[in-house]
Amino acid sequence: MQLYITALQEGLLYGLLAVGIFISLRMLNIPDLTTESSFGFGAAAAAVTAAAGHPILSLPVALVAGALAGFVTGLLQTKLRVHPVLAGIITMSGLYSINLIVMHNTPNLPLGDNAIFKLLYACFELSAIQKKILGAVVSAVFCVIMLIILIRFFKTQLGLCIRATGDNPEMVRASSINVHAVKITGLCISNALVALSGALIAHYSGYSDIHSSNGTLVYGLAAVIIGEAIFGRRGVTLGLISSVLGSIIYKIIVTFVVQMNLFGDYSATLMKLMCAVIVAITLSIPAIREKRQNRYNGKERGENA
Amino acid sequence: MLNISKLSKTFSPNSQFERHVLNGLDLELKDGEFVTIIGSNGAGKSTLFNAICGSILPDSGAITLNGRDITLMPEHKRAKFIGRVFQDPMKGTAPSMTIEENLALAYSRSRKGILSTAITRKDREFFKASLAEYGMGLEDRLTTKLSLLSGGQRQVVTLLMCTIVTPELLLLDEHTAALDPAAAEKIMEITNSIVSKNHLSALMITHNIKSALSTGDRTIMLDAGKIIIDLSGEERAKMTVDQLLHLYSEKKKLELDEDSILFS
Ligand SMILES: Nc1ncnc2c1ncn2[C@@H]1O[C@H](COP(=O)(O)OP(=O)(O)OP(=O)(O)O)[C@@H](O)[C@H]1O
Ligand SMILES: [Mg+2]
Repeated sequence: MQLYITALQEGLLYGLLAVGIFISLRMLNIPDLTTESSFGFGAAAAAVTAAAGHPILSLPVALVAGALAGFVTGLLQTKLRVHPVLAGIITMSGLYSINLIVMHNTPNLPLGDNAIFKLLYACFELSAIQKKILGAVVSAVFCVIMLIILIRFFKTQLGLCIRATGDNPEMVRASSINVHAVKITGLCISNALVALSGALIAHYSGYSDIHSSNGTLVYGLAAVIIGEAIFGRRGVTLGLISSVLGSIIYKIIVTFVVQMNLFGDYSATLMKLMCAVIVAITLSIPAIREKRQNRYNGKERGENA
Repeated sequence: MLNISKLSKTFSPNSQFERHVLNGLDLELKDGEFVTIIGSNGAGKSTLFNAICGSILPDSGAITLNGRDITLMPEHKRAKFIGRVFQDPMKGTAPSMTIEENLALAYSRSRKGILSTAITRKDREFFKASLAEYGMGLEDRLTTKLSLLSGGQRQVVTLLMCTIVTPELLLLDEHTAALDPAAAEKIMEITNSIVSKNHLSALMITHNIKSALSTGDRTIMLDAGKIIIDLSGEERAKMTVDQLLHLYSEKKKLELDEDSILFS
């Protein structure tokens, strides 16, 4: 049981990462690899700020850090016309060094007693399981607040522009909107959320690790896809919510696999592979379905002839 | 109002693919004038529109609209006062957004702050009323995604988007060409009513010579990046399709003769 409460909390915190990827991938229609380092950038920035005695301030700092990363990628792929995937890769590898520098050249920076969740638990006298429940509840409340802000935001004029830019940039330009500026703004928001997610995970685990970003893009993809598979692709509001839910479900599946020891000693080791396989399969379903459909139609025609 | 002088554009200059698409084109449009443009494939009609909208920049020449020089102005900036409808119904709208969201994008472009709610109840009423005028039943489908509409219905939404904030100039690039005859006629009807109701200045490209002569108040023919025929008033009223084609071949012949004299 405890394990599943932990999964719930992790799913919620990683949920913001999924939302960030939903924004770049589904709304802006950009495969943004910046996430592979802005997650760690957020964690690093938050860890340093928190370790210096400002745990609450560390969250807005992470937001700003992520937005900066998104801004660089956005600038590269709009004004400087670098291919979107390459632009992300460039920012990503550049940020690796910066992350190390931020973390004072150590691959792992502890937050000590300044981790938000630790401070929170210290306010009450709680048993282990109560702590877990409190952590999950606080994470849930935080996530819901962020979701409400985002849902409202994507109903504003700027929000509509961001969505339209991914949908039909030509039309956006024809309605007197600066496509470049809107794309950059979208990438800033997406990466700010990813960085915030990284910061929260640092607070949750008590340290910031230079490798924490690895595989975040695929994780986010998996969460978005699982959300869509269960709740359908019906509009932005539902998409934002189902990304978080997808992230929770994914974490629960993982917990289940590890707990049941489905793959023996390799259960935990195989997690990333499993994640990649899920994403690969889901992404190829449309192509497979089309092929089967064609074969089916062919057969029918043959019979009638 | 619109004044184009000596507009020239060459694609891939200094290469084997060099193409002089616009050749010192001059055009003056009076306020409230509705001009139809005809010309063979590749005559440079769409390129002229691209230059007016800023999707491409001309090599030389000038374009002024109501006194301001827009020759080099960025595309999204001139979109504030130029509306454009494309031939392809997919081009003018965002497919995965709803009718009201598409309209809101166009409607609030000059009116609201970027962080204000895009669609208020008042906006919704206004969209409903505007759509109801066209009698296509779209007023009851405000929350339908554009991807679920037919080409004709999309063109109506695009037309409304382009004119919901009255533009100074409306450009229509074969905007009925992708529709079936009935839908095309309906869209032409709507176009005429929008243009006359708002006293718009408009340019419309069409391959249908008959409708070019019967729509609007002036017809020009483009050939090899220049205007070779410019009809208005009495002369245009009397013109038939056959006469126009005849006129065209006369002009072409004359041009060829001149060329052969030049090169002989
Ligand atoms: N971006 C471009 N790059 C290179 N060549 C171009 C470009 N745009 C147009 N052209 C060329 O310019 C010529 C004129 O094209 P344009 O689209 O203006 O013709 P049009 O008069 O609109 O023809 P149609 O009736 O077929 O729409 C064509 O030969 C086309 O190949
Ligand atoms: Mg054309």
